[in-house]
Amino acid sequence: MTSKKRILVIDDEPDMTLMVRLNLEKTGRFEVREENNAVNAYQAARDFKPDVILLDVMMPDMDGGEVLFELKKDPTLKKVPVIFITATVLQEEVGAKGGTIAGHPFIPKPFKMSNLLIMIEDALKVATEGPAK
Amino acid sequence: MQGNPINLLLVDPSDREACQVVVSLAQSPVAQFDLTRIKDLKAVRRHVETSRTDIVLLDLPAQEGREMLAVLQTAAPSIPIVVLTDRGDEAAALEAVREGAQDYFDKSKVNADTLAHGLHYAIERKRAEEALQRSQAFYHSLVESLPQSIFRKDLDGRFTFGNGRFCAEMNKTPNEIVGNTDFDFFPKELAEKYRADDQRVIESGKLFDVVEKHITPAGDTLYVQVIKSPVYSTSRELIGTQGIFWDVTEKYRAEEELRRVNADLAFKEAELLKTLSALKDSHEDLIQAQLHLIQAEKMESVGRLAAGVAHEVKNPLAIISMGLEYLDENCQIGKNENDVFRAMSEAVARADSIIRGLVDFSADRRLDVASHSLNAMIQRALLLVKHELTSGHVTTDIDLSPDLPQIRLDPTKIQQVFVNLFMNAIHAMSTGGVLRVRTRLKPIHGDEAPGITDRFKPGQPAVVTEVDDTGSGIPPEKLAKVWDPFFTTKGTGHGTGLGLTVTRKIVELHGGAIAISNRLEGGARVTLLLHPDREISP
Repeated sequence: MTSKKRILVIDDEPDMTLMVRLNLEKTGRFEVREENNAVNAYQAARDFKPDVILLDVMMPDMDGGEVLFELKKDPTLKKVPVIFITATVLQEEVGAKGGTIAGHPFIPKPFKMSNLLIMIEDALKVATEGPAK
Repeated sequence: MQGNPINLLLVDPSDREACQVVVSLAQSPVAQFDLTRIKDLKAVRRHVETSRTDIVLLDLPAQEGREMLAVLQTAAPSIPIVVLTDRGDEAAALEAVREGAQDYFDKSKVNADTLAHGLHYAIERKRAEEALQRSQAFYHSLVESLPQSIFRKDLDGRFTFGNGRFCAEMNKTPNEIVGNTDFDFFPKELAEKYRADDQRVIESGKLFDVVEKHITPAGDTLYVQVIKSPVYSTSRELIGTQGIFWDVTEKYRAEEELRRVNADLAFKEAELLKTLSALKDSHEDLIQAQLHLIQAEKMESVGRLAAGVAHEVKNPLAIISMGLEYLDENCQIGKNENDVFRAMSEAVARADSIIRGLVDFSADRRLDVASHSLNAMIQRALLLVKHELTSGHVTTDIDLSPDLPQIRLDPTKIQQVFVNLFMNAIHAMSTGGVLRVRTRLKPIHGDEAPGITDRFKPGQPAVVTEVDDTGSGIPPEKLAKVWDPFFTTKGTGHGTGLGLTVTRKIVELHGGAIAISNRLEGGARVTLLLHPDREISP
């Protein structure tokens, strides 16, 4: 039995992180930690050592881009896949942008859990096997 | 005979007694005569000038008789003169009558009664002659003094009379006119017209009254008022025509000028009304444009507001959505709960779609163009609405021309256009139907869509896509409004009213045009026109 994958969810909205956590934990395959303060996000990542980070874009104090910059500076974290969760772009634009923000995949709110799960699985696969040729 | 005595002047210079028959007139029962005899011929003139004299009886030798006749006709032309002659002097008597005497009597043959009668009749005849002369003078002066030209013709059109003015007008003497016809004075065509007018009067027996153009023999053009009427003899037999005409050139020209001025006025009034109407229209247009501007500004601010709000709304929507997903799979639920979850999920989806519409509406309109196949875009959009087609019982009739050229387009945006159009068509067929999509490359006529000639030249080829539905069509009064933001024919909760607005914006950004119409056979048709192989500046 493989150990549960750790997912760190960073979003300033506690109910948002709660829902993501509950839905992911429900699958029995993930251990989820919520972080609602972007300023603490880096420390949380260092402590929790996540396999995938779900990162909101627009947050008070510090936005998703700055958090990403912090994470990438840390050699132990820079390879952890990040999936942006955002309310600022439309589904139609995802295709146009190649589905990435700064090279990271993103999913627009609101989303179907099934879609998020697919993205997490893909991210985990890329992390372990390297990007698809 | 009754009445006043007749004052009879006997001119008899002889020394003998007055002729017996004259003397015996005093006893005549025919009339009462008051006889005065003058022997001195020189006194005659004075007598007739100073004393009332009803008749003069001359008993003179032939030569003196003639001289006296002349004197009396000069001094008192209205006094009748009767001549007494001697036996056998008939010739002299007739000569006297020719020169103005009323009658003559042979002294040897006449008796008192005959002479009395003769004298009496002479007086009456003289009076009748004078009355006739006065009457003739009256009518002559009437005909000659009127400022009108008057003429008469016989049934063959020959002039029988022309008054002085007519003669002057014709520049002819009466003798030169009488006996001739219009053909002797006027060009053939004009003479024929006059003859035809005369014939009309002769045949109808009615007045002919007209204003006509008249060319004088001198070549001047006049307008004359002409009245022609039939002429009858005393036995009521039609014997010809008469006409009277006068120059109304001045009046005619004034009337013509008045007509011209009136027509001009009417024309100017019409022009004025037209201008007024155009002014009203442009005022209307201005108001419309103003309203549009206000509306557009409102929409823009609504859009900006919506985009801001959308972000805030998406988070709670995401939470609700995920919450529902979580509960759906973790609760022991019955049918009611299932219905509640379904309704809530659908509500979230609907709210999400409204938010997307609002964001779309206010979104940045930059295009990301590349050369693509339009048919492929349509096929992809059809795939995206496959679920709606099936659940709406809508079948498809797809007729895509294989010969379409590539088009420079933004695939995401154009796909959005077709998804919008297909969704609208499906929603228009609530009980099912056929979605027909057809593409063709064909030349533009110029009437396919409003404002199309701004973007396409007539005759220029365009890629034309027709999207038809078999629904109930769009009420004609709403056809023009379908492009307005927030206009929707769908019930509350089924449309944002932004789909077609966004669609048109996208098409116009591609330099294309779009129109919507009702099909004769029922349902609506959206016609989409795009430029083949054309650079579209982003």
